[in-house]
Amino acid sequence: MTQKKTITYKTFFLTAIIGSLLIVALLSANTLRASRQSSNATDEAVSAVSSFYLEAMADRRAKTITNLINNNFEQMEKAVAFIRDERVGSQEELRNTIGRVRTLLGLTRFALVDSDNIVYTQYTTYTGRSRHEFLSKETISDRIITTVSIYGSSKQLCLVIPVSDLSVMGKPVKACFVQLHIEDIVDLLAFDDQGRTHFAIYSKNGGNLSGTELGPVISDQNLFEAISGIVSEDVLNDNRKNFEDGAEGSMTFASGNTEETLFYVPIEGTGWEMAVLIIESVIRDQFRDISVKNLAATRNQVMLTMLSVLLLASILLFQFRSISRDKLEKEKETSRTFRDMANTDSQTGVRNKHAYSENEKVIDRQIREGALEKLAVVVCDINGLKYVNDTKGHAEGDKLIKDACSLICEYFTRGAVFRVGGDEFVVLLQGEGFDTMNEVIAEFNRRIEENIKHDSVVVSLGYSALGREDQRLRDVFERADKMMYERKKELKSMGARTGR
Amino acid sequence: MKKYSGIMLMLAIISMALPVFAGCSSTSSQAGAYEDADPPGSGNVDPGPDSSGSEDSVRSAVDFDHELDSYKPHKDHYNFYFTYKTVHSWWDAVALGMEEAQRQFLDKGITITYEYMAPEGASAADQAERLNMARQKDYDVIGVDVADEEAITPLLNEMVDAGTKVMTFSSSDAAEGCKRIAYVGNTHNYQDGADLAEALCEKLGYRGKVAILVGSKGAPCHEERARGARDTIAGYSDMEIVATEYDMDSVDMAYELAMQIMNDHPDLDGFICCNMSNPVGAAIAVTEKNSNVVIVGMDHDEEALRYLDKGIIYCLGVQDCYSIGFDTIQTAVKIADGNLAGQLFPEKIDEITTVIYQKDAALMLELLYGDI
Repeated sequence: MTQKKTITYKTFFLTAIIGSLLIVALLSANTLRASRQSSNATDEAVSAVSSFYLEAMADRRAKTITNLINNNFEQMEKAVAFIRDERVGSQEELRNTIGRVRTLLGLTRFALVDSDNIVYTQYTTYTGRSRHEFLSKETISDRIITTVSIYGSSKQLCLVIPVSDLSVMGKPVKACFVQLHIEDIVDLLAFDDQGRTHFAIYSKNGGNLSGTELGPVISDQNLFEAISGIVSEDVLNDNRKNFEDGAEGSMTFASGNTEETLFYVPIEGTGWEMAVLIIESVIRDQFRDISVKNLAATRNQVMLTMLSVLLLASILLFQFRSISRDKLEKEKETSRTFRDMANTDSQTGVRNKHAYSENEKVIDRQIREGALEKLAVVVCDINGLKYVNDTKGHAEGDKLIKDACSLICEYFTRGAVFRVGGDEFVVLLQGEGFDTMNEVIAEFNRRIEENIKHDSVVVSLGYSALGREDQRLRDVFERADKMMYERKKELKSMGARTGR
Repeated sequence: MKKYSGIMLMLAIISMALPVFAGCSSTSSQAGAYEDADPPGSGNVDPGPDSSGSEDSVRSAVDFDHELDSYKPHKDHYNFYFTYKTVHSWWDAVALGMEEAQRQFLDKGITITYEYMAPEGASAADQAERLNMARQKDYDVIGVDVADEEAITPLLNEMVDAGTKVMTFSSSDAAEGCKRIAYVGNTHNYQDGADLAEALCEKLGYRGKVAILVGSKGAPCHEERARGARDTIAGYSDMEIVATEYDMDSVDMAYELAMQIMNDHPDLDGFICCNMSNPVGAAIAVTEKNSNVVIVGMDHDEEALRYLDKGIIYCLGVQDCYSIGFDTIQTAVKIADGNLAGQLFPEKIDEITTVIYQKDAALMLELLYGDI
């Protein structure tokens, strides 16, 4: 026979606590893993967005410069047409006209060049062959875009267009040009002022033309000199070649704690490269800060949730325990009720035959064990019950039973009364009941004999005490039952009715 | 900052007298008390390759940071005419200084217009013709970089006598006694030549054969430098000048002459180049012949600086052209207003020359030409 295992409260609590901790640990680990995945995804996203962003930024700024150049070319054409219409005749008139043109069209250092390479500006007239490289050509047939480094390292973009059908002071004009300061071009390129993105304009050899700082690592140095030693030789050479070929490209490099990515695109017609740089590590750190904060918030949320769950579980557990206890009590009560109902005679209120049988088992065991010394069985039988039932109805018969039971109980107050048949009762006497048995029985019999005279309740009574030879209660009962029948005859003879 | 002639004269005497100072670029400026205006120009000394050429001295070789002095011009518009020896990038650098002064005057509401003209090749006749044309017009001041002092000085005197306000500028003044009002530029060409020759002698261990490429015949600055070089060489018994040629400030001609001299004198040890073009021509020839001939020369030509950076040229005397231009316009305005030398400006406004060596070349290239 296997013993059935029972779950104790301690086991329940331990299981709840360990389970909760495991859930918290699993949730935390999952949150951490999700956070790491999120961080990696963020890194990848930053790189992807950076590249896209940089390409767009570089392209937009390169186009800004291209538009500026094209706009200047258009304005120069208009300026020439204006001067042609003015038909200037003297140096002073020419200077005034150039001054008006510059003001009207917003041209910087606009100048005409005649066939002798004499340069005419608003304020000066000078021989310009050695000063302007494009004048080394005998004739100018196409637009020219060149970068000039002025003595003193100031850098300018020189835009030249050929001119025909225009003469000044009797000399044919062969070209006009403007010189744009690169500093002015840089001013046009409004940029991120939060220190995350930078730009610079470079010549083919990586020389910084704009004077702007491309991040803390490259600063305003020659690009290739700055990154030499930071990137591999292959990367260096590839990018150097891109610059020489006027191609676009990108590179990422790290120096110290700083990770930077730059993208460059050629600026049409200039031989320049527009480079835009983003300090990815700054952006990534900011994203990580956000991720860390989110992770902490998630952890707190998980802990709070688990604590709430634990608290709720504890409350529910206590409620469950309370409900269980109540339920158990009720079940006990019900069980007791049912047991009482099973052992009680509903008509008389005394214990029934079932109760007697239960007691009989216990008493039989005690007899076997020799644990009983004082025991007597009194067998009682109601006289005339059948007669009453037949002549007066069952209601009167039932009343007779109740009256008989009351009478038995009235006398045998120190004994256990059982209804073991329709008109038969048994009284078990132990202890004091056993000691007073003879007196009680004698008084009871006297009462019965009195009742015969008054046509009242008559109960035949036989009794017997436990003897040494008795093996079971039945043995005692049978002697008492026999005696009861003898008494029934005796009472009949005294005038008592009998239903049998 | 004012420099006084006494101090400068003393410095000049010391540098002439003591060989230890030979090889240094020295400058001088005129002294005097000037009311309401600071005289331009300052001194600079570069003692040589071992003890000089610091970044500071290289950075100060050309002063790009100028501001107009407190002089208040009388008019709101001035019109000048300037002519110089020949079309050459050296004078383009001067032009940039002039344009900066013009811009600063414009910021003060004073318009400066001018012509700045030169022939394709140095020519006293061409210069005289330009001056005669200019004097017919109503320029406030005519400025001249004298192509040939013997030929041009009398014309300048004639112009002054006729009421034209005349000044000289850049590297060549008129002859001594000229009536021109003032000169702005290099006043120490002789010393520059001497300094270059001294540097070369020292490099050669005061023993060897050298040739001098002068430049334009009659051009005061070129001639004076050649004279300073000759005098210095004469001071060393084991040094010998085997050739002196005029390249007319032309790179091509300087190259041809250098090749010819090296062919004629295979044991040649050095070239002394007295203008901006001939160090380049000599360097091309020396490179082509794979020779070890030592070259010393003048000025800041970009190509010459690259030869200096490679060690083909030993040293270069760099003049402050930018300051020459700036001070020329500023002085011209004062002259136009009727001022004479001695009150607001000295008769000779000196600008510095700095001798630089191979180790200084990269910085000078960066300062003057940037990184394109």
